[in-house]
Amino acid sequence: MRIRTTREQRIFRFKTTLRWIIYYLLIFISFIIMTSGTLYKPVILVPLAVGIAINNNIYASAVTGAICGFLIDICCGKLFGYNAVILAFFCIAANLVFELYLKDRFINYFIITAAASFLQCWLDYKFYYQIWGYENVGRIFRKVSLKIWIYTVISSVFVFLVLKLVNRLLMPREHLTIEEAINTNIQSENRR
Amino acid sequence: MRDFLKSTRFKILLGFLAFLVGIMIYAVTKGGYSVSGASFINTITKPFRSASNGISMKMEGTVDKLSNADKYYEENQKLKKQIGELNAQLTEYDAIKAEVEELRKFVSIKEEHEDYMLSQPCKVLGYVTNDPFKSFTIDRGSADGIKVNCPVVTAEGLVGITVEVSEHVSTVRTILSPDLSVAAMASSSSADQGIIEGSVLASENGRTRLIHVPKKNKLKRGDLMITTGTSGLFPKDYPIGTILDIGIDSNGLSVCADIQPCVDVNRLTSVIVITDFSGKKEEDKDED
Repeated sequence: MRIRTTREQRIFRFKTTLRWIIYYLLIFISFIIMTSGTLYKPVILVPLAVGIAINNNIYASAVTGAICGFLIDICCGKLFGYNAVILAFFCIAANLVFELYLKDRFINYFIITAAASFLQCWLDYKFYYQIWGYENVGRIFRKVSLKIWIYTVISSVFVFLVLKLVNRLLMPREHLTIEEAINTNIQSENRR
Repeated sequence: MRDFLKSTRFKILLGFLAFLVGIMIYAVTKGGYSVSGASFINTITKPFRSASNGISMKMEGTVDKLSNADKYYEENQKLKKQIGELNAQLTEYDAIKAEVEELRKFVSIKEEHEDYMLSQPCKVLGYVTNDPFKSFTIDRGSADGIKVNCPVVTAEGLVGITVEVSEHVSTVRTILSPDLSVAAMASSSSADQGIIEGSVLASENGRTRLIHVPKKNKLKRGDLMITTGTSGLFPKDYPIGTILDIGIDSNGLSVCADIQPCVDVNRLTSVIVITDFSGKKEEDKDED
């Protein structure tokens, strides 16, 4: 049984609140970066949403994914809610996959982010360009969608590092009682 | 002393002094011009004086720097601050100047087309992220009288049309987009008509396309294409762009052309929205 003192509870709340404030500050900064300039830019909000999702509970992940999606819709001029649905789905999936099957390692995050951002770019291409049958529409996939995907995958490395730093500093660790610690130790020895 | 006064040496010195006084008086009569001897000396000694003066100035400068370092440092800081302030003023001045120039151009639109109802000049807030057809958002919306499907222009030419309008922000679809079609004709001959419509290939170079032009036409490179105004969505006779290349369309039935828009859509800072004009269609839900 976990015993938390009032002080620990206060620290837990403080760290959690601060962590989420920083997450949303990062989301805001990413949004500003995405809306500035005329060049093609990475969709930084995708790796950011996935990165937040894999380290937090599923509801918060879904909400964060949806918010990031709405922001992408605004800055990319897409149907409001289109990317929100996609990203909320990705975040829930990422959260579940990391909870059940994968460890919190960079390579896993990288693969999941690459897959998610590729799907996002591909769906974007399908629904916003290919479906309308423009002449030479394949060029958009090759010259725009793939370029954005590569930029997004590269940017995910930096996003991971920033999130890792935030989590290391502000992710509250579970405190075990002496009993729990002994039991965990015994269980691991038995497994061996 | 008496011996000295009687001596030849004294007489010679006296004579020399008199000679000098004579020279002085002569110099006075020259009215500011050097006497030839002085001029000769000046010419001979000029390079030496110049060199020595240079050395001494350098030395004096070094000594001055060492002795007045604090004073100069303070002065330097003060001047730096002043330069900063002046630079800020200059930047502000440049911005105001650019704004005034832009406004002057917009005034010319109103002067040329009295029937137009124009919005306030709209600043381009930013381009829609990763849009290959360069849609952008402006800082005016329905609160400023802008509606969906209002033409967006600059003094140079047509830019696009408003497609999404909120209270204070609107999104503009440009003439580079394949989703926007504008009926156009050549300014030289109204018989040569076609449709201006963006394409994936042309938009990569900031161009658009003229399609569905009959094979029998008099179009040539450099012709200016203007709006026909038949749909009621765009005002009549507004410049769109000039013809770069003419060719046969892929269907083989009509002629097409590459169009260089009058406006560089990639680098817009402000535009204006035509909220009303004579001949405007009331139910403006369909595109031209």
